Amino acid sequence: MSDIFHQKIQKALADPNLQAALDGNAERRISAREQAYASLPEDLQTMRQRAHAVRAETIANLDHYLEQFIARAQANGLIVHRAADAAQAVQVVLEIARQKDAHLVAKSKTMVGEEIEVNRALEAAGLKVVETDLGEYIVQLRGERPAHIITPAVHLRRAQVGQTFHEKLGLPLTDDIPTLTSAARRILRQTFLEADIGISGVNFGVAESGTLCIVTNEGNGRMVTTLPRVHIALMGMERLVPTLDDLALMLSLLPRSATGQKLSVYTSLIHGPRRDGELDGPDERHLVLVDNGRSAMRRSPLAEALYCIRCGACLNACPVFREIGGHAYVSVHGEGSPYPGPIGSIVSPALFGQQEFGQLARASSLCGACKEACPVDIDLPKLLLRVRAGGEDLKSTRDPSGVPPAMSWGLRLYNWAARSPWRFASAQRATAFFSRLLAPASGWLHLPAFTGWGYSRDLPRPAARSFHQRWAAGQVEHNSAFEAPQPPAQADAGEVQESRTRGMAQAELVERFEHELSELGGTMTSCHAADLPTALLALLQARQIKALLAWDEDQLPSGILGALQEAGIEVLHRPDPGVKVGLTGALAGIAETGTLVLPSGQGRMLSASLLPEVHIAVLRISDLRPSLEQVFKEANAGSLQQVRQASALALISGPSRTADIEMTLTIGVHGPGEVNVFCLED
Amino acid sequence: MTETVQLFVTCILDTLYPQIGESVVHVLERAGVQVAFPDGQTCCGQPAFNAGLRGQARPVAQHTIQVFEGTQGPVVIPSGSCAAMIRHGYLELFADDPHWLPRAQALAARTYEFSEFLVDYLRVTDVGARYRGKLSYHSSCHLLRDLGVSRQPRALLAAVREAELVDLPYSEECCGFGGVFSAEHPQISSAMLVRKMANIEASGAPLVVSCDAGCITNINGGLHRAGKPQRAVHLAEILDQS
Repeated sequence: MSDIFHQKIQKALADPNLQAALDGNAERRISAREQAYASLPEDLQTMRQRAHAVRAETIANLDHYLEQFIARAQANGLIVHRAADAAQAVQVVLEIARQKDAHLVAKSKTMVGEEIEVNRALEAAGLKVVETDLGEYIVQLRGERPAHIITPAVHLRRAQVGQTFHEKLGLPLTDDIPTLTSAARRILRQTFLEADIGISGVNFGVAESGTLCIVTNEGNGRMVTTLPRVHIALMGMERLVPTLDDLALMLSLLPRSATGQKLSVYTSLIHGPRRDGELDGPDERHLVLVDNGRSAMRRSPLAEALYCIRCGACLNACPVFREIGGHAYVSVHGEGSPYPGPIGSIVSPALFGQQEFGQLARASSLCGACKEACPVDIDLPKLLLRVRAGGEDLKSTRDPSGVPPAMSWGLRLYNWAARSPWRFASAQRATAFFSRLLAPASGWLHLPAFTGWGYSRDLPRPAARSFHQRWAAGQVEHNSAFEAPQPPAQADAGEVQESRTRGMAQAELVERFEHELSELGGTMTSCHAADLPTALLALLQARQIKALLAWDEDQLPSGILGALQEAGIEVLHRPDPGVKVGLTGALAGIAETGTLVLPSGQGRMLSASLLPEVHIAVLRISDLRPSLEQVFKEANAGSLQQVRQASALALISGPSRTADIEMTLTIGVHGPGEVNVFCLED
Repeated sequence: MTETVQLFVTCILDTLYPQIGESVVHVLERAGVQVAFPDGQTCCGQPAFNAGLRGQARPVAQHTIQVFEGTQGPVVIPSGSCAAMIRHGYLELFADDPHWLPRAQALAARTYEFSEFLVDYLRVTDVGARYRGKLSYHSSCHLLRDLGVSRQPRALLAAVREAELVDLPYSEECCGFGGVFSAEHPQISSAMLVRKMANIEASGAPLVVSCDAGCITNINGGLHRAGKPQRAVHLAEILDQS
């Protein structure tokens, strides 16, 4: 019990800060997820099964979907690279950095980036790499690995973050979360503006359209994919869905499972680099598709773990993760893995070596809370058992590595006995006899701690006579049947939930949109087109605003910019980070999630909804749609084609937010802290 | 004609708690079935399976399959994880074995956990039990998540005369047993058990009912070591009270 893994476990259990942080994580995340599931438009189990089927079919036909995806992505203008392993993936990134003579890299969250250790390689090549997700930034400052795939700084409490910011950034010591968050905003804003390259991960690739879907809450994902002149997206090759319809299904489950949100604040759909006439967006977009063991894993008995959509729900649900946290999940040599928790205990051995990481799967009570929490219904306990059995050839009769020798020999003896009723009965009699010698007066055996069991538990003394003996001796009493009154027949519980949004009338759509947006901390005001200038001016004057970034005249209700200028407001049509307000239109609004749909394009600056502190959007009532699914449907059918065609499309659900410090919601990280929507009556 | 069920008492009940086995027999008989006890039975093979030692688990599972192949009727198991082992574990264990897979499937198809058998198969919730006092219920993990059994034991407890069923906070959280896990990772297992014991104490009930011999052994082992007065009992022990 003195190996590195057990030492890490001991250390984690003895750390009161970590224990408090992990308790907070489990309690808040589990209840947030349950609440969010309650708002699903359909029955959760039905949706999970559908999502499972989509992922299973994708992984089964991965070569086909990859081919389709790559062809579409290239047609969209992405430069696609394939990397067989971590070294190749890193080489691709280094080569791009060299060609572009890059010095500064702004990075948003990418678990594949952690996996291939791209930061280390870039830094070794003399580049500066800055993590821009608040949690990632904190762990980068501390020189740690992320402790959770969604909440990197889950292991820290606010005072520890304050201490880190004090030591590394010279800030006055504070544990006030908004102060810490705004300090990070200020510092990282400079990085976004100066970076030569932005590196992001990818949540989903859509095969039919070549779309990259990236989900973030703080806005850093939009920043690094919009502001630097080169964007490199790192993507595990399994992260595909066949269609936009499938993407809608995944997006209904991923944010709910990950953070308890109906939709993350920013869902970006990226199709290509900046197009002619567009004011912002990178000149080049690269996509690096990383294999790094996934092809082999796909052929192994652990293939089902490739269905994972990296929501982190299994980590939050896991009672073992709750006790030991992400940093305790180490190899036999003490190396960490980017993937901790239940899914990591399968993925890490599958990708990085059974010999090294196989031991992680043994640290599970197989309680199944992970499977229950998984939005794509991965049978994690089954896969953990397969890792325990060696992960590869499950038919082997030899012992897999990682079984403690004493346990292996003890079980060998036990199983030898269990194959023969006579031997089994003899063994029972022997244990009954010897346990009476050990504990003649008590019904309990006090075993020493080294046995494992005796660490915190006593063992009931085996019975003097086993059930077998009692039965054979006719000592088991028998009863006659009891005539019970018949219970009333139970009602069938499988009531079908009705869709809550399909066929919503316009008034309902407006009401729902307003409600959802206000839940997210945004505001919606209904007005007639004629009253819009007055309403807008009132809002600007209340904030003493003299200038704003705006979409072009032809992208907004006619006359509105003229009216603002007449009133003395300066209107800018270039990405200026000093301006406090951005004014945009919107292609559509999504009632179910309070979401604005903003495509890039000529006259539609992406930065206007990203750089300023206040985002004002003008939305026509007739552009409201009930659901994301409906938007995607119309994107295919033609009426909302920009969803599929824009070089970048932002789905914005309320103000920028984070909960990276102690799960405490903080509004306004990198993106706007205020979202005001004017809903125009037709 | 009265139906006969085959009791698979499980190694833990057989060795540590024969009295629970007797209660199971009493309750099944009160529910109107005859109980047979195939003599050759030993262990389902779960310890080796969970330890990753499939080469060791297979012969033990084959032994169990053979013992019950010679019998007729439903096989009733008073322990959630052992029932789950036969229902799901065996299919995994013999997935690539054309000779044993159909035999494993045949056994899986006639295997029921005790409370599931009473409620879903026999459609009995009232076995005439009477127990005066407060009870809480711990949802054993394999029973709940692997077999989907939760309303059945609760319905059986609800029908116990004079019993006051109180809420066990976080009833669905694991008690930390996990078979070989409890010996291999005693620190984590114990931390989970401490949480469970605190919830048992907070429930205010002196007895917590479970349908899994593993959980009962773990919880009671911890409660006894810690000098706590509460105890875990098997559902059959409560249903056997009159």
